[in-house]
Amino acid sequence: MEEHTPDFEIKRSWGALFPHAGKISGLKEILIRGLWFLTAIFAVITVFFILYFLVRDAYPIFASVGLGDFLGGEVWRPTGSPPLYGTFPLIVGTLLVTLGAMLFATPLGIGSALYISELAPYRVKTVVKPAIELLAGIPSVVLGFFGLIVLTNWIRIGFDVPSGESWLAGSILLGVMALPTIISVSEDAISAVPREFKEGSLAIGATHWQTISQVIAPSAISGITAALILGMGRAIGETMAVMMVTGNAAIIPDPIINVLSPVRTLTGTLGIEMGEVALGSSHYHALFGVAVVLLVIALIVNVCAMLVMERLREENIASAKTRRRRLSPEMADRVKRSLGIGAVAFLAVILFVVAGPLTTVVVLAALGALYVVNERISAKISQNVAFGMIVLSIITVLIILGIILYDIISNGLPALSWEFLTQSPRNLGREGGIFPAIVGTLYLVAGAILFALPIGIGAAIYLTEYTREGKLTKIIRSGVDLLNGTPSIVFGLFGFAFLVLFLNFGVSLLSGLITLGLMVLPTIIRTTEEALRSVPDALREGSFALGATKWQTIRRVVLPPAVPGILTGTILSIGRAAGETAPILFTAVVFSRRFLPDSLSDPVMALPYHLFILSTNVPGAEQNQYGTALVLLLLVIGVYLVAIVIRNHYQKTVKW
Amino acid sequence: MVNTMQENDAIISTHGLNLYYGDKQALIDISIDIKPNKVTALIGPSGCGKSTLLRCFNRMNDLVDGVKISGECLFNDKNIYAKDVDVVGLRKKIGMVFQKPNPFPKSIYDNIAYGPRIHGVKNKKDLDEIVERSLKYAALMDEVSDRMHESAMGLSGGQQQRLCIARTLSVEPEIILMDEPCSALDPIATSKIEDLMIRLKKDYTVIVVTHNMQQAARVSDETGFMYLGKMIEFGDTVQIFEKPQEELTSNYVTGRFG
Repeated sequence: MEEHTPDFEIKRSWGALFPHAGKISGLKEILIRGLWFLTAIFAVITVFFILYFLVRDAYPIFASVGLGDFLGGEVWRPTGSPPLYGTFPLIVGTLLVTLGAMLFATPLGIGSALYISELAPYRVKTVVKPAIELLAGIPSVVLGFFGLIVLTNWIRIGFDVPSGESWLAGSILLGVMALPTIISVSEDAISAVPREFKEGSLAIGATHWQTISQVIAPSAISGITAALILGMGRAIGETMAVMMVTGNAAIIPDPIINVLSPVRTLTGTLGIEMGEVALGSSHYHALFGVAVVLLVIALIVNVCAMLVMERLREENIASAKTRRRRLSPEMADRVKRSLGIGAVAFLAVILFVVAGPLTTVVVLAALGALYVVNERISAKISQNVAFGMIVLSIITVLIILGIILYDIISNGLPALSWEFLTQSPRNLGREGGIFPAIVGTLYLVAGAILFALPIGIGAAIYLTEYTREGKLTKIIRSGVDLLNGTPSIVFGLFGFAFLVLFLNFGVSLLSGLITLGLMVLPTIIRTTEEALRSVPDALREGSFALGATKWQTIRRVVLPPAVPGILTGTILSIGRAAGETAPILFTAVVFSRRFLPDSLSDPVMALPYHLFILSTNVPGAEQNQYGTALVLLLLVIGVYLVAIVIRNHYQKTVKW
Repeated sequence: MVNTMQENDAIISTHGLNLYYGDKQALIDISIDIKPNKVTALIGPSGCGKSTLLRCFNRMNDLVDGVKISGECLFNDKNIYAKDVDVVGLRKKIGMVFQKPNPFPKSIYDNIAYGPRIHGVKNKKDLDEIVERSLKYAALMDEVSDRMHESAMGLSGGQQQRLCIARTLSVEPEIILMDEPCSALDPIATSKIEDLMIRLKKDYTVIVVTHNMQQAARVSDETGFMYLGKMIEFGDTVQIFEKPQEELTSNYVTGRFG
């Protein structure tokens, strides 16, 4: 059996057991410790800077329009006269698209997680798990491109509407983006359920499905909840994919459950309008106000996830203690029942609008029949039905992945040629190649990693090796978590306000790489921390016992075996940085620049941005769109594959 | 092969049972008869295969990847490894108590009611009755009657183990397998479980794996001594401990190795 540990679980900190073991004496040791301390609080400082700069630039609009009108106003028309700055439709749009995405992704995600952890034969698992990780590696702009070209078209034809750019399209795409998070985090939680629970249930003569539904799933419920909230966080913060397929009309769907209506999200508004706004105008301040609202929503979601995980951690630690029972069994039953009825009613209403009354009646009747039958049929049949649904969900996910990959690859391959990869674009990118965009992306990524890696590793070293778990680590970790939950477009706005304007770096490679670096910093810190924690204490003790200093021990004993883990985190960050568009949108990129950047203060081209512009602003560039999408996809997925191979290799060979 | 089964109506008997974990053979040619309404103890040094043998009886080994089994294991004269056997139904009839108490993270009541519920008991009154009877049988009722709806994780180790026994009893098995049920418990909790085992044999057949020879001597009617995957000697407990036929057995029960 493989050992699974949920990656969000804070394991016992090995280094922290000996915060003062190993001499920290002499100037050198003290300086090194101070350096790592600075890197560790960097994340916290960044969070404060982000908050400060956003609020500073948003304040004028709150002051002039008033917070109530800003949040509650029903019209967003910043260019009208007089301009109206009501974000209510945007907030509703964001919530609706996210809600739809969760309705789409929750059953598929939990089903797939159950399949991978409970049903999949070992060999199938070794294929399916990387496939899910592949799905996570598809850059959002590529997904958005697929949505724009293929998905909206299907919706337009399928529902016979004038345009497929809609709430529905946005929700499906966001659901796909949230799936990998939901699947992998819930799978970890399910696999972490002690084997004894499963054996105890099977030994009493329960079927596998009864065991899953009544013992395993309830035990993993906190982890699954956390997975759903994290997936939701990812959906709320996403910009590019949503902006490309939702139609971006700032209206509230009428009726409210009309999934075919176009909507506009907070992120989409920023992505569209930030590039064209006059500096210092009230529209400019209003956009920062939108960013603040977005950040607050994202933070609420992430704090919820943190609280759920905190509870999960407490459960793991103190499982021997009596747990409070918040609801009496009767109450719990009643709550469960009303939640179920609510969900069915909601689905019915949506179905009613999308598919008409007749279908709704049929589906409801079928559901009712199923419920009645379910009470009477044998455990074996319900197991077969349940397993059928589970297998169906994983198949659906794999088919989605297959369709996306097939579409991009089959349409993109004809565009690939030596000229395409080595020439500059001509005729607004309809002809010629994408060489400057490739180079620009490589520069941006390399710079971002060079910026973030030392800080990230330093912070992780400080957190694992130099401190006991306490208030300070809690603050730092919260800072890292908040940074991790900050939507990428908010990083973009921060980069624009702080780096481009305040520090006067201009729209440049330098601004872009710092923004991207800040964005990947949490990933690097977390994976490095995990790698350092997996180094057993016996090694540290052995080194201290020989009279080594703290830093000698870390450098010669702790770091070397942690290198593969750190490498994996780094590679994942490279993939993320290469595919991201929103953070560089206003900080680093230009569309058409034939020349390569000469210095850090030159703007650059980048693949994701190039694809975005080609597919939204340049008609008649189909072939080069697909070509660009394919190159970007191959680049990012190639990087992810390397990470997966490295991880699997070391998982097999290094066992403590 | 001479059929020795006719006069002693064994509830479980194995004939030439072999078990492999991948290439490694863990059980070698095990042939024993286990009598109903007795406590049978399996003893032997660590890794001798006693737990593996026990887990053959309710097919829990099926959960391990790469297990191969040959030979026969008869339960009420029916081979439990035959193709048409319903494993789920089998496990209902042959209950199991594990080494480490493994209550579900549910309330005490729900832990006991879990088995009856999955086997179709819905009526609240029936459930209440089963829960009460099982807890009383396991001598746990007095200690938990005022907190039936609190989490079972709050019980002490010994209480948890008796809860697990009560949970096994709730589905009315014929046989109860116990895999070192006291190894995680203190002496007082252990003696409570031992008393329970002796009471259980009135209604059930108990097979217990233990590494504690005194325990085997105290509670069991029959004892099997295993070594390196083989059943070295199997018979009356008093005879095994006082007049062992094999030198290996004698060496082990007198503490010369193990």
